[in-house]
Amino acid sequence: MAAPDAPAPTYRLIGTRIPYIEGPLKVTGRAEYTDDIKRSGQLIARLLRSPWPHARLRSINVEKARAMPGVAAVLTGEKYPTPFGVLPITHDETAIAVGKVRYIGDILAAVAASDEATADRALEAIEVDIEPLPDYPEPQGGTIAVAEPIHARGLNGTNIQKEVVQHFGDVDAAFAKAHATVRVRGTFAGVTHAFTEPMATIAEATPDGRLTVWSATQVPHYLHRALSEVLGIPMHRIRVIKPEVGGGFGGKSDPLPHEIICAALSLETGRPVKILFDREDVFVTNHGRHPTKNDVRIAVDADGRILAYDIEALIDGGAWSSFGTVTTYYNGVLSMGPYRVPNFRYHGRRVYTTKPPSGAMRAHGGTNIRYSVELALDDLAERLGIDPFDLRERNALPPHSTTVNQFRITSTSFVKCLHAARERSGWDQKYRKLPYGKGVGLGCGFYISGSNSPIHFTPKMPQCTVHLKADMDGGIAVHCMQADIGQGSNTLLAAIVAEVVGVDLDRVHIMRVDSDVSPVDIGSYSSRVTFMMGNAARQAAESLRDQLIRAASRLTGYPPAQLEVAHEKIRVRHRPDIAVDYLAALHAAMERTGALLATGAYNSPPMGGDFKGARAGTAPAYSFAAYVAQVDVDVETGVYRVEKVWAAFDCGRVLNRLAVEGQIEGSIHMGLGQMMGEAMSYRGARLMNPSLLDYKIPMPQQMPEVECLLVGDDDPEGPFGGKEAGEGPLIATLPAVGNALHDAVGVRYHDLPVTPDKVLRGIEVREQSGRAWKGVG
Amino acid sequence: MHLDPFELHRPSSVEETVSLAGRLAPAFDYIAGGTDLLPNYKMRLNVRPNLIALEDVSELRGISLDRVGAMVRLGELETDPAFGSAYRGVVEAAAEVATPLVRASGTVGGNLLVETRCFFFNQSFPWRKSLGFCLKADGDKCHVVPQKEKCYATFSGDLAPTLAVLDAEVEVAGPDGRRRVPVASLYDASGDGIQRHHLRPSELIVAVHFPPEARTLRGSYRKLRIRPSFDFPELGVAVAARQSADGGVERLALSVGGLETYPRRFDDLTRRLVGERPTIAKVRELADAVRQLVRPVHNTALAPDYRRKMAGVYVRRSVAEILGVAEETR
Repeated sequence: MAAPDAPAPTYRLIGTRIPYIEGPLKVTGRAEYTDDIKRSGQLIARLLRSPWPHARLRSINVEKARAMPGVAAVLTGEKYPTPFGVLPITHDETAIAVGKVRYIGDILAAVAASDEATADRALEAIEVDIEPLPDYPEPQGGTIAVAEPIHARGLNGTNIQKEVVQHFGDVDAAFAKAHATVRVRGTFAGVTHAFTEPMATIAEATPDGRLTVWSATQVPHYLHRALSEVLGIPMHRIRVIKPEVGGGFGGKSDPLPHEIICAALSLETGRPVKILFDREDVFVTNHGRHPTKNDVRIAVDADGRILAYDIEALIDGGAWSSFGTVTTYYNGVLSMGPYRVPNFRYHGRRVYTTKPPSGAMRAHGGTNIRYSVELALDDLAERLGIDPFDLRERNALPPHSTTVNQFRITSTSFVKCLHAARERSGWDQKYRKLPYGKGVGLGCGFYISGSNSPIHFTPKMPQCTVHLKADMDGGIAVHCMQADIGQGSNTLLAAIVAEVVGVDLDRVHIMRVDSDVSPVDIGSYSSRVTFMMGNAARQAAESLRDQLIRAASRLTGYPPAQLEVAHEKIRVRHRPDIAVDYLAALHAAMERTGALLATGAYNSPPMGGDFKGARAGTAPAYSFAAYVAQVDVDVETGVYRVEKVWAAFDCGRVLNRLAVEGQIEGSIHMGLGQMMGEAMSYRGARLMNPSLLDYKIPMPQQMPEVECLLVGDDDPEGPFGGKEAGEGPLIATLPAVGNALHDAVGVRYHDLPVTPDKVLRGIEVREQSGRAWKGVG
Repeated sequence: MHLDPFELHRPSSVEETVSLAGRLAPAFDYIAGGTDLLPNYKMRLNVRPNLIALEDVSELRGISLDRVGAMVRLGELETDPAFGSAYRGVVEAAAEVATPLVRASGTVGGNLLVETRCFFFNQSFPWRKSLGFCLKADGDKCHVVPQKEKCYATFSGDLAPTLAVLDAEVEVAGPDGRRRVPVASLYDASGDGIQRHHLRPSELIVAVHFPPEARTLRGSYRKLRIRPSFDFPELGVAVAARQSADGGVERLALSVGGLETYPRRFDDLTRRLVGERPTIAKVRELADAVRQLVRPVHNTALAPDYRRKMAGVYVRRSVAEILGVAEETR
């Protein structure tokens, strides 16, 4: 890290506002998404979904369906029964149900037919005989032994999928000597990603024994592995291609059953098969944020210094494990920043239920616990008469520190975030000073910048590899399996290469992700791409640059150490008038070898403790946030508006300002959704609102003004000093609004989403208790 | 989700339309903007094999202060300056329907006759099949009020309450000729979410007519929902009033939609204020009475007790505002 007084280096591209390189194609409709691909002779696949939440399959008769004209294949579960799942330790899914169905929407059978209508008619001709089983729509009932566990692997005959018990320090002793304690019990409805592009896959098995799969996925590599495992085809005979993807937010990070089914149907028929989801398919596939109840106790001393956290979480997993083991850890350990917590105890349980599976969603595992912690801290600040900003600053984790559970914290500009948000929002003139119904609130957060431990990979291999090829035309082709799903990673990849090599951005061509040619990157999840791909790309580009510099050295007679790249040229550092054009250097470098090749790779350094679960939450860097939200509540109806959010965020150095601001604005929108109206709404095990009309994503009119305050210092290990900005920006949104509602009406809302009826009920309860809207008591 | 094929008919006059309808009834639907009908067809909700498109029937067009054609798009209506200054409440309602894209297609007639809604009804075919079909489509029971044999689907149009309070009439054409029906009595007040209205199967709304008195009224529309656009009303309150120079109420009408199976006027209650100088106490009394009379059920996003409470608040606010009665501030 640069010494505090040294000027930070500046760059030609990095740090500017770089429009997405694929933007013109997307806005003109020319970008190619999976459904835009049409293969000659392709069939359309549709899925028969279970109408029962939990049932044993006695028989499935597909004869009538199979005999229908236009139907090419009907598939049931027994043909490919190999279990899979995103985590190697919890392979509990099958492509199609085998023996049982576990939620309304579970897949019973699949049809490939000449067109969608024919496939739909064939589904209706399939006869399924079942024995109904007791359903378990709520996790509470599943924490004890049940008559018919949803999975045999549930803990001791219960539906518990994962239980985590952790204790660092001595929580009881800390509570015994506490000056004040607080307890918050939060309830969080499940939410889902609601990305724009529904899932879509095309698979084509060809007579050469190969299988090509195009899929809307965030993690082509894990899909590649799952296809190989379930279909029994070696990976090198499977080719996975990722076209443009219209958003994922975690919902396209698991290998999903329909991707395997699509491939299986192509193997069955020898024809290309396409599957495109309806919105209802997307909703029941879910893998969104878990419905959760948490119970948070915090102890502080008289100065508001945190002594201990004592946390419980009951997490509703739905029918599959998905990322659930990680989720269970994260709901505890992602409370370990941005504050110093000397004593920590956590008991987390994720329970299978007969509902659509939950999984990873933007700010996975860090969102619900953060809401409860931040509301608890605000309550403590109020009771101790300490300003919420002061209380948080007093507890801030310092740079280059270690948490009690041995997270390695390197860079943190959290205190700078606090200062920026406090000053820009006019906090000291507003907090507890606005009229009834108006309020400001502070919410903070932190998030991993890439998981230190890849889920599904030989740990000795890099988490990301980037290949470059520069040929005589002066273009640089970039191969990497990193998955741009709309977050701008292609643009960043191109910018890093162009920056280092010194060329214009349009010389850099980001090649489509294709497992035949793209070196492995483990995909877009855990906010890892900027950090890991960025470092790999920089390394690869430096290698290419060095080849050019050596050639320029031969041409100029100056030693490489005295040369540097400038815009489209290489020049002598102390004699900038002596320079070689980029193309001249490139052609000189190619004289003996032809096209230049370069490679770069990234692997995170060793870190973390050596207790069970120690890897969960370890990351090579963390982002930090301090947000202030200002709300205006109609105290008679409970209808409220978030007027403005001041978003102070530490993503280290800003690499693409346009992308970072977009991520922050989008994150705030998504966070407001969970806060204000979005909910997977169930009656029993039945999802009531599987449509974008009934699932209440905030409308543009609900979007507040957002002021981005990007105050991060360079991270010592991040590419150019950068860290993640894709998930961390969501987390602080919810508690900032929650605490602002309290400032406005004197009620702390712990049941999300906080819809107008709940706001009003809270006000009524407060009034009935005789409590004023302002003041402790 | 696929759309099954249907036969599309494109008549060009009202007479041709109703005679075609008479021949095809009941195996047809009219299609105006299609913004509600086609999604419902994709969900296989009461699909008919014939669609009669009203697109080419020129008599269904045109906006004036006396008459609005049934095929006028909501987007046209909300941006017509003369109409907007005369009928503020209608335009406020039109501007709050769905989204700009939907309003570019959605029509006045379509919004008046928009299908009633319920979260057990507005679901895909497999969804409904898995629960068991309901009274309103393919089944014989109600999932909202299981012991009842009637349908509680909620009236979800925004325009009708605002037109009802102006005493506007719809011009209806059918095989037997034309007739006028007041908007306020177009709907079935027995509370049947299936029957909904009093039009005969092949009848068609040609236009909405405004009596001269309508232009002397001030109107407004207040809409409750979780999001400030896209969502159907969870409650819609339309009022219209005229006062004498000294503030005395000469006329007052109130219609509430989004709560029950039809938009409901409360003439017995509003009549009490006519001839009076309005006070906040009287307005509150009216609002409380409305709140006690309405009976929303749990078939939309917001809970019925909350919607009912809000009916009181919205009626009070709307009536107080339109009559210029100051509310005490809290």
